[in-house]
Amino acid sequence: MGWFAIRPAYSKAPARLPTSSLREKEGEAHPIPHKALISRRWAHLGIMALFLLLAVGCSTARQSTFDPAGPVASKQLELFNVLLWVMVAVFILVEGALLYAIIRFRRRPGQELPAQTHGHLTLEIVWTIVPTILIMALGIWTVFAIFDLEEPPASADNILDVTVTAHQWWFEFEYPDAGGGKRITTANELRIPVDVPVRLTLLSDDVIHSFWVPKLAGKLDMIPTRSNQMWLQADANKIDEYPATFFGQCAEFCGIAHALMRFRVIVFEQDEYDAWVQNYGEPPATSEQAQRGKAVFGQCVMCHTIDGGDDRELQAGRLDAFLIGGALVPAPNLTDLRTRSTLGAGLMDLNTENLRLWLKNPDDVKPGNSMSDRAAHLYSDGSDISLSEDQLNDIIAYLLNLQ
Amino acid sequence: MAAITDVLARPTGYSGIWSWLTTVDHKRIGLLYGFSAFAFLLIGGIEAGVMRMQLSQADNSLVDPATFNQMFTMHGTTMIFMAIMPLSAAFFNLIVPLAIGARDVAFPRLNAFSYWAFLFGALLMHSSFLVNQVPDAGWFSYANLTEKPFSGNDAMDFWALGLQVLGISSLAAGFNFIVTIINMRAPGMHLMRMPVFIWMTLITSILLVLAFPVITVGLIELTMDRNFGTHFFIPASGGDPILWQHLFWVFGHPEVYILILPAMGIVSEVFPTFSRKPLFGYPFIVFSGIVIGMMGWAVWSHHMFTVGLGSIATSVFVITTMLIGVPTGVKIFNWIATMWGGSITFSTSMLFAIGFVALFIVGGLSGVSHAVAPSDRQQQDTYYIVAHLHYVLFGGSLMGLFAGVYYWFPKFTGKLISEKLGKWHFWLFFIGMNVTFFPMHFVGLNGMPRRIYTYSSDYGWEWLNMLSSAGYFIIFLGVIIFMVAFVRAMRNGRPSGHDPWDAPGLEWSISSPPPEYNFAEIPQVEGLDHYWIMKRRAAAEGNPITRPEPHVDPRTIHMPSPSYWPLIVAFGTIWLAGGLLTHYALSFMGGIIVIIGIVGWGNEPPTARDPQH
Repeated sequence: MGWFAIRPAYSKAPARLPTSSLREKEGEAHPIPHKALISRRWAHLGIMALFLLLAVGCSTARQSTFDPAGPVASKQLELFNVLLWVMVAVFILVEGALLYAIIRFRRRPGQELPAQTHGHLTLEIVWTIVPTILIMALGIWTVFAIFDLEEPPASADNILDVTVTAHQWWFEFEYPDAGGGKRITTANELRIPVDVPVRLTLLSDDVIHSFWVPKLAGKLDMIPTRSNQMWLQADANKIDEYPATFFGQCAEFCGIAHALMRFRVIVFEQDEYDAWVQNYGEPPATSEQAQRGKAVFGQCVMCHTIDGGDDRELQAGRLDAFLIGGALVPAPNLTDLRTRSTLGAGLMDLNTENLRLWLKNPDDVKPGNSMSDRAAHLYSDGSDISLSEDQLNDIIAYLLNLQ
Repeated sequence: MAAITDVLARPTGYSGIWSWLTTVDHKRIGLLYGFSAFAFLLIGGIEAGVMRMQLSQADNSLVDPATFNQMFTMHGTTMIFMAIMPLSAAFFNLIVPLAIGARDVAFPRLNAFSYWAFLFGALLMHSSFLVNQVPDAGWFSYANLTEKPFSGNDAMDFWALGLQVLGISSLAAGFNFIVTIINMRAPGMHLMRMPVFIWMTLITSILLVLAFPVITVGLIELTMDRNFGTHFFIPASGGDPILWQHLFWVFGHPEVYILILPAMGIVSEVFPTFSRKPLFGYPFIVFSGIVIGMMGWAVWSHHMFTVGLGSIATSVFVITTMLIGVPTGVKIFNWIATMWGGSITFSTSMLFAIGFVALFIVGGLSGVSHAVAPSDRQQQDTYYIVAHLHYVLFGGSLMGLFAGVYYWFPKFTGKLISEKLGKWHFWLFFIGMNVTFFPMHFVGLNGMPRRIYTYSSDYGWEWLNMLSSAGYFIIFLGVIIFMVAFVRAMRNGRPSGHDPWDAPGLEWSISSPPPEYNFAEIPQVEGLDHYWIMKRRAAAEGNPITRPEPHVDPRTIHMPSPSYWPLIVAFGTIWLAGGLLTHYALSFMGGIIVIIGIVGWGNEPPTARDPQH
């Protein structure tokens, strides 16, 4: 016999085939089937409506994974979508069975002891094997996807390499060859051409961080001692307007300003991108105010860099600072700062007012930030390190290259 | 020798504060566990409230980032190690000896030590609030953020040492229950006649003694790095921060099953009772539990799919992780089949058990979606994970544990909790839990990482967060109603009789509350659901059982006497750990107290001079 039942010692009645209690007898009228059916339908409708309602709100979010703009994120969403329908189906089936059981088999007054069934071997085998097959199919499909997503397509011959280094709490982007052999180092804003696979080498300078641009690619951790590789690409058919901005954020808790460790990926058409690479580099300070600002900035070069036409003086300044014995701390490269959209690792828009706020007291704007600490350390003779209003205006004029 | 035994005489009080401090009675220790764990559950709940309030609006500044980081770290650590685990331990203590027909656990004094070590470890970690050096690196505290250069104060030492002591407590409890269950079963209770709750306790205990040594190693290494100049996890000196992740999750994944298996055991007792029908597929529920316990060791790297372990390693863990869903599914199908064809009474306990299954299904399904590694790259460290883990821990473990509270409350008080208030509690929990955590699936897939103290309104996360925060209050109200119901029932609940639910377990055959010796006569077990067999046979013979086993003169039964030593050894342990935070001399003192305690413990006379014993 294909069924299995331990006959309880106290059972006087012959053990009944459990299937009779598991399957409704046809045509048998029980007191509440109609009601149960209706309430179940309503429950399902409600769940579907909730899903829809929430899903509508989803794709509009800045970091929504439901709105992929590249092959990697699309594949990841495709996997999730299939799984979502499997989950919804299993959910309805199992919760439906649960709901049916508790409504149909609730105790009625004067009810006798129900049949004391102990199990059913065929059923056990079925509900072990069927999920195993289902889940193995998903598993094998997943394994294929893992290997698919490992590398950019072999056909791609124009891969752009970028090394990303995480620091507490900002991202450094280094292009060994941004185009035409030009080496570019920038911060918190990754600029890439559309339709070009970008291979990222992920490093960390301090603790573990994680690189994540939901619309372009799922995250990968940035770990000191390790160099992780991932790739992403922005597809032209998903972009309406150039330059297109995609939002990213550190996804591994990394200390006090973890929430404020954001970055952006800005996608250009190829010729725009080429022009950016071509023109990259700080133009000489022209106005008198900017010249004065540059002199003030001479104190900042211990940590910050500006590459460009006249960075020689700044380098000399750094050498001087180094000789007085301060430690060089990694800090964002500020070349072409004026062309960036944000300040403080995606914290706020870059404009004169915000830059002034930042320079006045960076600690107020971003907790844990080491700018004033480092400055105090560097000029440890106790002199006042805060900038005067004039100095502020000058340095802003220089950094934003105001005429 | 007489002089020594006089000095080491065992305490004799059976009432008052000293009787609780020196008790070795498993029922009293169970109650101590239960009440302490509930207190920590409240603390963890308040910490959750602070986070929910901070996140209810974009750009909120209710708390500063430092406080927020402390809140999520302590919330996670408290709920897992000081609320859910000790609540499970409370049930192990209260139920195991009663349900296997024993008079106490195998090592009553070790049992008392487990409790005191738990309490002191938890207090040590919480004392970090007094010196404002609260752990702040998350409940899994990834190295190397926890190392000196990035975590300069003593916060992580509080965390590591507190957890270490909690681990000692868990290890002692684990060994105790393994030995108790293997050796102390009443005659006739074969392994395959044990209630499922006992099976799950056994599996959990085995997981405890195998998993905790792994985290112990990790914590020792972390403590040494921070205090003695080693560099296990410091990259600059050639250490590897990923080693911590492996150690943590090799422990951490079995830990997940340590948290859920006891609740699964509890609902496996509740469903048959309130369906008036034996558990469906008992051997399958038991073996799926064993399979879960074994496979739990082979899935840890699914917590690390974003570490970059390589495609081969990732693929292996994808497959094992997916497979572990099967035994879990088998359990759910069997529970539903238990109710199928039954005669279901919707007591509060049953509602919580049904709620457990309903919510655990959701958590299980989202769990399968994490197993799909490429799509997990979008889910890892987001609120989607937070949603998942609360569906299994709150919807699963906690709902299951509350099913147990309502189920066994009459056994230990002889009183009934108001069904009306209980049902309010259930519905507030069930609805509040869904309102709080269901939106987190969406806010997570919308790109909100976990552990961020603020977000800007441009990200489109605000209203979903507001909804989650509103749900918090519904849960909060549920907790208050539970406390009211509990206190009212303690004070003047209706008498329950010894067997209010017509339950199958051995524990229901004795009076409520049970006498100190549990069973006047050790029962001869005739089968699974022993008490049902007894009652139905008696009813068939025409003289139904209406009364519990009668009490006897306690002097005729030899019981273990109370002891000071477990408390003293636990006290020494905490000095030993606390000294590392303050002054090594204190550690030294603590060590001496521990040694004296162990010597005293070993030389303690077996019985009190109390002529009664």
